[in-house]
Amino acid sequence: MGDQFLQYVLNGILSGGILALPAIAFSLLYGILRFPNFAIGTYITAGGFIAYAANVTLGLPIPLAFLLTMVLCGFLGVGVDQLAFRPMRERRPLTLAIVSIGVSFILENMARFIWGNDLRSYNLPVQRGMEWGGVRIGKEQLIILLVSLIFMVWVQLLLKYSRLGKSMRAVADNPMLASVKGIDSEGIIFRTSYLGAALTGAAGIMVGIDTAIDPLMGFKLILSIFAAAILGGIGSATTAVGGAFFVGFAEEVSMIWLPATYKSAIGFGMIVLVLLFRPAGLFRRTQVI
Amino acid sequence: MEKNDKGLTRRESLKVFGAGAGFLAMGFPIKLNAQEPIRLGTLCPLTGAGGPYGPQMQEAISRVVKEMNDSGGIHGRQIQLFHEDSQTNPEAAVRATHKLIEINKVIAIMGTWASAVTLAIAPICYNNKVFDISVSGADAISDLQDDDYIFRTQPNTFVQSGVYGQFALEKGWKKIAYIAIQTPYAKTFGDTFKKKVEAAGAKVVEYLIYEANKPSYRSELTKVLGSNPEHIVIMGYSPDSIVIFKELFKMGYKGGVVGPGFAINQKVVDNVGAEVAEGIYILDPGTDPQSPAYKNLVRLLGTTDINSYAAQTYDHINLIALSLAEGKVYFGTGIRDHLRTISNPPGIEVGSFQEGMKFLKEGKKINYQGASGACDFDGKGDILSRPFIFSQVKSGKMVTIGWIKG
Repeated sequence: MGDQFLQYVLNGILSGGILALPAIAFSLLYGILRFPNFAIGTYITAGGFIAYAANVTLGLPIPLAFLLTMVLCGFLGVGVDQLAFRPMRERRPLTLAIVSIGVSFILENMARFIWGNDLRSYNLPVQRGMEWGGVRIGKEQLIILLVSLIFMVWVQLLLKYSRLGKSMRAVADNPMLASVKGIDSEGIIFRTSYLGAALTGAAGIMVGIDTAIDPLMGFKLILSIFAAAILGGIGSATTAVGGAFFVGFAEEVSMIWLPATYKSAIGFGMIVLVLLFRPAGLFRRTQVI
Repeated sequence: MEKNDKGLTRRESLKVFGAGAGFLAMGFPIKLNAQEPIRLGTLCPLTGAGGPYGPQMQEAISRVVKEMNDSGGIHGRQIQLFHEDSQTNPEAAVRATHKLIEINKVIAIMGTWASAVTLAIAPICYNNKVFDISVSGADAISDLQDDDYIFRTQPNTFVQSGVYGQFALEKGWKKIAYIAIQTPYAKTFGDTFKKKVEAAGAKVVEYLIYEANKPSYRSELTKVLGSNPEHIVIMGYSPDSIVIFKELFKMGYKGGVVGPGFAINQKVVDNVGAEVAEGIYILDPGTDPQSPAYKNLVRLLGTTDINSYAAQTYDHINLIALSLAEGKVYFGTGIRDHLRTISNPPGIEVGSFQEGMKFLKEGKKINYQGASGACDFDGKGDILSRPFIFSQVKSGKMVTIGWIKG
């Protein structure tokens, strides 16, 4: 049981690592645009399939496919924003949230139309995991976790020190004041959409490597991402990372005591509990982003 | 808009001509005394977890119906098919069923796949006196107070899990883990299997039912492997099975695995790779490839790569058409009341509608022998027996290695 417990903890960290990038993206977009963008889920699917096209159809190696996916997913995010959200900028958040659900249906079905319903895998042989003291981890999983950590740190640095990051924080904090100060808020939205979708697309290829690629892959994660963002106090990219690891950890470790059929209930349960008792998020930070 | 001399606007006359041309283009036989066609619905899983099977299931029905209609239909009546996609989703299936029954006025629905789907639409069918025949396995379907409108060609869980138990015992398996996706049959299957193997001295060391649509099953499998099973029985669907097989491999599992064809098919094997899939057993209610019905289906579909559900839907449409031909009562009730007459012994064995029709016209009693097996039904509309095939993955290919009589 001792060894097993460590394995569950490790599983939780791996899940958290995969949830973290979309949770950051979700929070960033929420911070700037002030609505929950559920289309994030399908950016994961898009990422998975774009990388599939690059890796399997075009025969590119995975690292190249990874970069290409991030670049293209960013454009997808910008395209969606310009086509679907920009004309609705002034509407209420609920309207935009519903639009984002509509967008995800359209994108998901486009993926079905192009690639069909079958599950797919990248051109990567599945390898036996490595073992230390009864705890197992796959080589790809370790790489995924590392890459994810690098991006987490990079986003934090970007937000803290870069000009873009500062402008993003300014717009998130007070859009009116930011625009008075001469910050081009449409430009910031443009770049945030790009960054958010690119990060989420990266998570898509990670999920695809870790398990499999299918049109539902984003939908399967959206509840956990949403839970992570809420736990982190929606709108804060830093604490979203904490939320992601917390949700990943809770979903996996709960397996020890709870029947496996209650896994989804963990995400829902956490959303309810946090909204009831700590509506500002688990880490109660007031600062945005 | 102004009317022209003939009292028709240009637009209206275009509409009339357009409709007429369209009518001809669709190839409707214009018969002055044409009888109403018999309306039948299909509700195959074209998308969702059943997506790999649904299209062929529907295609089998369409091809059979085309030949029936070309050969004069059922006593001169044509069959008109209405296709809907169950999406392997009970809610979508319920909406589709309402549409099929209320708008298309079908008298029977064929080809529902997942048990959850069949259970969801069953009440709508029997309350509307619509006949339903499915390929679902859950026992709850037998227990429906369905007024005998609900039939199926998939053996019930009891028959299936019995065969799985028999298989495990014949292989001499001792420490077995049972893992299953959350479905109406997961528990009945597991319980029956456990009882059967434990009575013979084997042990079910872990019994785990998991949720569908999870991105990973790492912790579920951590739990399963914690009990050190030597063999695993998996009752999953193919999307989750792909994830599970990869993860089992990464986690260092080296024991045996057996599961049904809806968990392990060639696509799953291709996806996980030959090394991961090596040695996995597939044990499935099979087809009867030696039967004339199966050979007829091969001819109709133009392929020998036929999934066992398509073989069943071939039987569905033939059973329904022959029941209607026998009873000449063109309602769901007519199918219900005459199906056992044409499917169960005694009688002349037939494997297609045309063959059956010939003997029915001569006033003889027939016994339909299907592509999926004997197609004999008990009082609950369950199939009495079914051949089981077991195959094994060897170097990335599924190789048939034996048969078990269900």
